[in-house]
Amino acid sequence: MTIPTFIFKNALRNKRRALLSVSSVAASLFLLVTLQVAVREMTLPPESLGAALRVAVRNKISITSPLPARQRQLIEKIPGVEAITPFTWFGGKYKGEQGMSFAQFAIDPHALGTVFTDAKMAPEGFKTFIEKKDSCVIGHVTAEKYGLKPGDRFVLDSTVYPGSLTFTVAGIYSGTPDDRNMLFRQDYLDDSIGSPGYVGMWWLKVRTPAEMPAVLDAVNKAFANTSAEVRAESERAFQLSFISMWGNVRILVASISTVVVFTLVLVTASTMSMAIRERFRELAILKALGFRRRELFAFILAESFGLAAAGALLGVGGAYCFFTYGDITKMTNGIFLTFEVTPRIIGFSCVIASLLGIVSAIAPSISVARMSVVNGLKTLD
Amino acid sequence: MALPLTYNVRNVVVRWRATLATIFGIALVVAVFVLVQALAVGLEKSASNTGDARNVMIVRKGSTAESSSQVSLQQYQTIRYWPQIAKDEKGAPLVSADVLSLISQPRIDGQGEANVSVRGLTTMGILLRPQVKLVAGRWFIPGKREITVSSKMAKRFAHFKIGDQFKTAGSLLTVVGEFDGGSSAFDSEVWLDADEARSIFDRQSYSSMLVRATSPQAAAEISARIEGDKRLPLRADSEVAYYSQQTSTAKPIKIIGDFLAIAMSIGATFAAMNTMYASVGSRTREIGTLRVLGFRRRTILAGFILEGAILAAIGGILGCLIALPLHGYSTGTMSFNTFSETVFQFRITPMLAMKGILFSIIVGVVGSFLPAIRAARLPVIAALKSV
Repeated sequence: MTIPTFIFKNALRNKRRALLSVSSVAASLFLLVTLQVAVREMTLPPESLGAALRVAVRNKISITSPLPARQRQLIEKIPGVEAITPFTWFGGKYKGEQGMSFAQFAIDPHALGTVFTDAKMAPEGFKTFIEKKDSCVIGHVTAEKYGLKPGDRFVLDSTVYPGSLTFTVAGIYSGTPDDRNMLFRQDYLDDSIGSPGYVGMWWLKVRTPAEMPAVLDAVNKAFANTSAEVRAESERAFQLSFISMWGNVRILVASISTVVVFTLVLVTASTMSMAIRERFRELAILKALGFRRRELFAFILAESFGLAAAGALLGVGGAYCFFTYGDITKMTNGIFLTFEVTPRIIGFSCVIASLLGIVSAIAPSISVARMSVVNGLKTLD
Repeated sequence: MALPLTYNVRNVVVRWRATLATIFGIALVVAVFVLVQALAVGLEKSASNTGDARNVMIVRKGSTAESSSQVSLQQYQTIRYWPQIAKDEKGAPLVSADVLSLISQPRIDGQGEANVSVRGLTTMGILLRPQVKLVAGRWFIPGKREITVSSKMAKRFAHFKIGDQFKTAGSLLTVVGEFDGGSSAFDSEVWLDADEARSIFDRQSYSSMLVRATSPQAAAEISARIEGDKRLPLRADSEVAYYSQQTSTAKPIKIIGDFLAIAMSIGATFAAMNTMYASVGSRTREIGTLRVLGFRRRTILAGFILEGAILAAIGGILGCLIALPLHGYSTGTMSFNTFSETVFQFRITPMLAMKGILFSIIVGVVGSFLPAIRAARLPVIAALKSV
């Protein structure tokens, strides 16, 4: 019998316990991966191709304060600005629903070709959107959820403006970081609320990335000391400002993850001690035969490391397969979109698993190292 | 107590070393479960704890947030003198027309910005909200660009200390006092004069109206009268009911809590199973003895399940105790209802603690079921022969 087979047989000698230990490690690692992926998705929005050229302009007071529509002419004149579109939150509720289940924004009919160029859609969709005032385009996630097809009509009750609006679907888009939103026309909204001369915010397309800082500066300065001061920022900065609103949620998830890891260590460590305690007598025999402490330590370490590695393979690998090949969008009802298990998360979880294997081997190793051969041989169970 | 029961109960204590890790593992799972649910309870509590039972809140029909609601000056004048509205000793109606705006403010820890609810209201508006108490400094004086902030918000945002000044919408505001909202939704607000707020934020109309009804019956009449009047596209609800509905932020937290509880309990059940199997294994001889004494299989089964349940319950109680120090701890996140920072406290209610312990007992019973069956099935002779 070689040493590796010896260790292997020992680990699997109590098959049920090995299985239970591996499963509990796997379950905890699965949870650990899930938590990390969820935090990543919440705090690091996916980047899109056009993001480097896009600028968000919102009211300096807060994003909920509107901007006067007359700012458009001034912004368009700023050198480096290629295109501009309003972007107004409608806050519509789909018929019969209690709350909002997807976001809707009013934009310029040409914006899909100039500013939000990530959206992929059948050519007729773009054409209809420009031609028909009451048309809208819908992300495929939402379209699938409600079974909407081009040509369908539906009503949204606004929670921001009085009354409701009827829309006709012009096309279903995909390919943006968030394929849930519905986009419709600002002029349609203006008609229905009597053109108050306000929009929610502006999105701009800058000609080249090099011109970005100058454009941001020029937009911010253009309305300084007016009744509607603005804040212009890159798409990335804008998204990150949203994330900071989540407040303590991040710390909360981080602390939960810590507890999960701690529970994990506890469970594995106790299983390892249990396994060793049962074998005290055999280890004493090995000692009597002339095996050294460090060799015994290697046996224990290899076994506990093996258990942790099997758990990691099952838990982390399982999470990877589940989130990569499963339809997360459907499962979470559109709350999470990508749920990407990155190499970094896999790496981190595997490091945790390795540490787990090492830490769990420490306590049993110490007791084995301390035991005298005679006492060990006397042990009964 | 019958022998197998005392035997099993005592075992939990005697073999404490082996069971300690399991108990602690279950305790941590329960602590996480209780804490996450305590967040949801805290959010719901701060919503349901808001408002005075005698007050009626009036907002625009269809609006879900006060900040996107509108009550025009004309509508305000119409409703103001209705006879169902109570009057103070000078004969002025107890009515407040409020302006609610959101301002983006930097956090105190430098971690970016968040929206803060700013309420413009009158002295009457303060009077109508008796749960709000001034705790430091003084109330704002109209016309002097002064604000009074919730002391909970002062701890979370930069520029909210008494004496601080900050600029918003082109106006320089000075913080002159702090109030305590009594764990209500007002804890997440900063207050200033209503007309000043309208001029600063360039608002034609108010956001909402709060009126004190003369009686519960009058309150119902106000609602009915508004509902029946086509010229008033408004909705009147009791203030308490209005705020109690604002709990949609709690829902996802509850779902996360349930998900975590289930995922972690799977790991914990495996761990409990492991301990119980080991425990049964090392007590084979004792179980054999019990059988010889005449105790039946089902008694042994019940005894071991009870042992698992007690073990887990100890873990559950420990978990609640671990979570308890965080009771009342203030935290905040973005509310889905107001789209602004909402401050609330961890609330560990007796009900929640009971749920946590019950949850741990389920883990214990499920985890000890298979090992208990194994114990009950041990053949008597073999059990006695084992060393």
